[in-house]
Amino acid sequence: MKNHALDDKVDDLYGYIEERCLWQFFSRSWDRQENIDGVLDQASRLLSGKDPARSTPMESLFYADAKILVADVRERFPWLDEAGEEEVRQMMDDLKGRLVENVITRSKNRELNHHLY
Amino acid sequence: MPMVLLECDKDIPERQRHIYLKAPDDDARECLPIANVPTIPGTLSERGCAFCGAKLVIGGVLKDTIQMIHGPIGCAYDTWHTKRYPTDNGHFNMKYVWSTDMKENHIVFGGEKRLAQSIHEAFDEMPEIKRMIVYTTCPTALIGDDVRAVVRQVMKERPDVDIFTVECPGFSGVSQSKGHHVLNIGWINEKVGTAEKEITSEYTINFIGDYNIQGDTFLLQQYWDRLGIQVISHFTGNGTYDDLRCMHQAKLSVVNCARSAGYIANELKKKYGVPRLDIDTWGFNYMAEGIRKVCAFFGIEERGEQLIAEEYAKWKPQMDWYKERLKGKKMAIWTGGPRLWHWTKSVEDDMGIEVVAMSSKFGHEEDFEKVVARGRDGTYYIDDANELEFFEVLQHVKPDVIFTGPRVGELIKKMHIPYINGHGYHNGPYMGFEGFVNMARDIYNATYNPIRFLAAQDIRDPLPLVMPERLREAA
Amino acid sequence: MSACEVAAPRPHEVKLAPRERAGVINPMYDCQPAGAQYAGIGIEDCIPLVHGGQGCTMFVRLLFAQHFKENFDIASTSLHEDSAVFGGHNRIQEGVMVLAKRYPHLRVIPIITTCSTEVIGDDVEGTIKKCYKQLEAELPGREIHLIPVHTPSFKGSHVTGYAEAVKSIVKTMAKKGEPTGRMNVFTGWINPGDLAELKHYFAEMDVAANFLMDIEDFDSPMLPNKAIETYGRTTVEDLQNTANATASFALAKYEGAGASEYLRDNFEVPHHLVNAPYGIKNTDDMLRKLSEVTGKPIPESLVRERGIALDALADLAHMFFANKKVAIYGHPDMVLGLAQFCMEVELEPALLLIGDDQGSKYKKDPRIAELKKQAHFDIEIIHNADLWELEKRVKEGPVKYDLIMGHSKGRYIAIDAKIPMVRVGFPTFDRAGLYRKPTIGYRGAMELAETIANTLFAHMEYTHDREWILNTW
Repeated sequence: MKNHALDDKVDDLYGYIEERCLWQFFSRSWDRQENIDGVLDQASRLLSGKDPARSTPMESLFYADAKILVADVRERFPWLDEAGEEEVRQMMDDLKGRLVENVITRSKNRELNHHLY
Repeated sequence: MPMVLLECDKDIPERQRHIYLKAPDDDARECLPIANVPTIPGTLSERGCAFCGAKLVIGGVLKDTIQMIHGPIGCAYDTWHTKRYPTDNGHFNMKYVWSTDMKENHIVFGGEKRLAQSIHEAFDEMPEIKRMIVYTTCPTALIGDDVRAVVRQVMKERPDVDIFTVECPGFSGVSQSKGHHVLNIGWINEKVGTAEKEITSEYTINFIGDYNIQGDTFLLQQYWDRLGIQVISHFTGNGTYDDLRCMHQAKLSVVNCARSAGYIANELKKKYGVPRLDIDTWGFNYMAEGIRKVCAFFGIEERGEQLIAEEYAKWKPQMDWYKERLKGKKMAIWTGGPRLWHWTKSVEDDMGIEVVAMSSKFGHEEDFEKVVARGRDGTYYIDDANELEFFEVLQHVKPDVIFTGPRVGELIKKMHIPYINGHGYHNGPYMGFEGFVNMARDIYNATYNPIRFLAAQDIRDPLPLVMPERLREAA
Repeated sequence: MSACEVAAPRPHEVKLAPRERAGVINPMYDCQPAGAQYAGIGIEDCIPLVHGGQGCTMFVRLLFAQHFKENFDIASTSLHEDSAVFGGHNRIQEGVMVLAKRYPHLRVIPIITTCSTEVIGDDVEGTIKKCYKQLEAELPGREIHLIPVHTPSFKGSHVTGYAEAVKSIVKTMAKKGEPTGRMNVFTGWINPGDLAELKHYFAEMDVAANFLMDIEDFDSPMLPNKAIETYGRTTVEDLQNTANATASFALAKYEGAGASEYLRDNFEVPHHLVNAPYGIKNTDDMLRKLSEVTGKPIPESLVRERGIALDALADLAHMFFANKKVAIYGHPDMVLGLAQFCMEVELEPALLLIGDDQGSKYKKDPRIAELKKQAHFDIEIIHNADLWELEKRVKEGPVKYDLIMGHSKGRYIAIDAKIPMVRVGFPTFDRAGLYRKPTIGYRGAMELAETIANTLFAHMEYTHDREWILNTW
């Protein structure tokens, strides 16, 4: 198996999310941030073999999105099986940063900070 | 320069900011078409008005509700007989439209009495109907009729009726999108939480942003039934007024059309803590993913897997048959907004079709973020495209089929390009597994149509036309 | 009802009354700007510019596309909120310039107002003057005719909007010049199939004519070179020369006669109003008048065409049509004309619905007096009607209708009541190709009667109602 540098791995994961995940493109900055944190936190747990949090409706929602995401990326990127907890954490942190940068900070969508829905 | 100034736009260079031609090395963040801004007068845009976004797209779908349009006759006439959203009660919603038929003296002296009278008459004429939405229009907004006061008075006089008021005249906003917004926000603020319905399952959802086009809602309802999920409200396909008052009771809002109805899902989340799950319902892969997510939310994954397995067994072989024959076909999507991002990847994954150009009438920048993320390189992404742009782009991308409205469909027929109704469908439903096979079949029938060979022939040509052998096969 | 029932003799009534409700449930007509747009697209090298919200244009283009299965170019000033507050005249000016620059062939832009811009009170005539200045400055030498058309949606209907637009177009464009030797023919709102029939009559009569508007190519071909040729053929010169015609024929009292009167009053062009040529007698009258005005004889060929039509009608009238009650709705000239036609073939037009508020004019319409003289049954005429008036009568009686004739917007009344329906008028989007078939003239009468017969036959068959009669016919 090719030994991916962390950046390449994050590229792969980011590429998947960019193309498939609608939750990154919610209407406002704050709910994009909420989704990025929520889904990726659940994904971290799942990738690290931990139980997901499912005690609130929002946690169940993030779990639902994360579960499908994790199943898909595991299938596409076999190197994930070998990632340790620390590497997963690192990847997810970088991924969050990349997502925040692309869909919030640098997004040209002029409605992201509208005070109303 | 990633944003493109088309030749036909040299006199209106501001159009460059609306047209993106995606290239492999672009940083997509830098290339977002500007959207949801005013249209340049005289460009032959395809946009409609805010009033139609509320009445025709959302409110008028409801199967038990009088749609009272307070204005001159045209606003009613025009938003009638332009949609294909059947209901299970005989299509009440498609058969009737109501207008206060405002005349000059009402413009001069006010139309409030006329409105009250028309409302009473409508309830009297159709005594079995107890629900109504009242819409203002350009002139009633301009003269400042107090529609809400009239509605309050009527509700006082008729305690068994409930009326909702939508104030979005045609000139408000820049497109039909404004009307979606006004209706969404008004409904959550005034009507959600005013009724309760019986809960029959521990798994409850609102299904939001699906308008039962050619029976989409009916088809998806079969899935929810098989999964044991109770749909509290359909916003608004085959929906009822009172179900929509109960949206707060659902445990989850499942959103298909985030453009026309994302607002209400957002507000349900903020106000009632109902989470919002966005899914795609067109396409095998997407539909399966959506079902998996809904089932994961409720912890009923096995039911979901069983349903997906059954549906795949039944429909996937047919889809693959079409995919074999549609592979490499080029398609353009010239519709409202969300179908661009719902379809661009799903037709590629499930049918092997390349989407080469897309235009959105009323999408916002959010819709372009989605479609640019999902769409191909070498594809045009256009906001509010006008007719000359359409012709120019067609010359560049040469699609085999175009999903668009009937009027544009008639236009491209002359150019020997088949059209499929991207709004009302040709022979749907198109959602779900079975629906996507319908869509593939319609594309096959369109692109394997012998007429285009006949059309290309000039009978004065010394060489007679030789038709391809066995152009079509038995599906 | 059987013909031999004995009823107490009483005078038969022809009752004319308006809809009594304030509100409309299921309108028969669109609003004025829609009619104005239909008139506008009849001009060659022309794109109408509708001054109002975008829906006022988008839906009307869709409506025309539904009816003709063709696309027509119509532009909008895309009125937004700021214009509602500060006035929208700038958007007219911008719209005109954008159209002029991007469509180099353009010679005419009718500027059609709507309810919103009439309420706001935009000064269209003043803005047109500014447009001419700007055109002169930015596109010197380019001649574009800007035509103000005032069609607030809160007056009249698409019928009056059409009439208003034809009149405004003629008023703006007519220009005294050399006599053309041609006759103006104001056809009213008809289909390409109707216009082809009219052109045929004028050709047979050897009368040169200027048809307003020439919409024959609204039925346009799919060509090997992919050219798009769906547009009106009435040119700037045709419009200017309306002032120089030998005479004007107005074939529709409510759809264009006003333009003909304008030419009489201002350019001394003789004005002849004839009944819209629905049915045999009205067509006879039109041809006789044409012969009288031009001094040209009616040729043998038309005697034969008339005979072919009568020959077909005779097979149908007393065997299949007699005693059948018919409800008819649509444009006033068409409804009254078809009622006359029905009487010719023993159909009983017992209910006529006209959808706008020109009640005082309808009262004086000689065709209604004529129906009164001839009818041996009651006729109810409702003006300012909506389709709910029809639906209620169909559902509640007392008259049992055997046939409905009207446009597609009333289709569900017939479908739900299981009454045979023949589509006629505008729009007829739920039947294929009707825009191509004439309903006027001898051939129109014949084809319409045959469509009625075939519709009744199909109904007999699927309801098993004496369908065996047709076992031998």
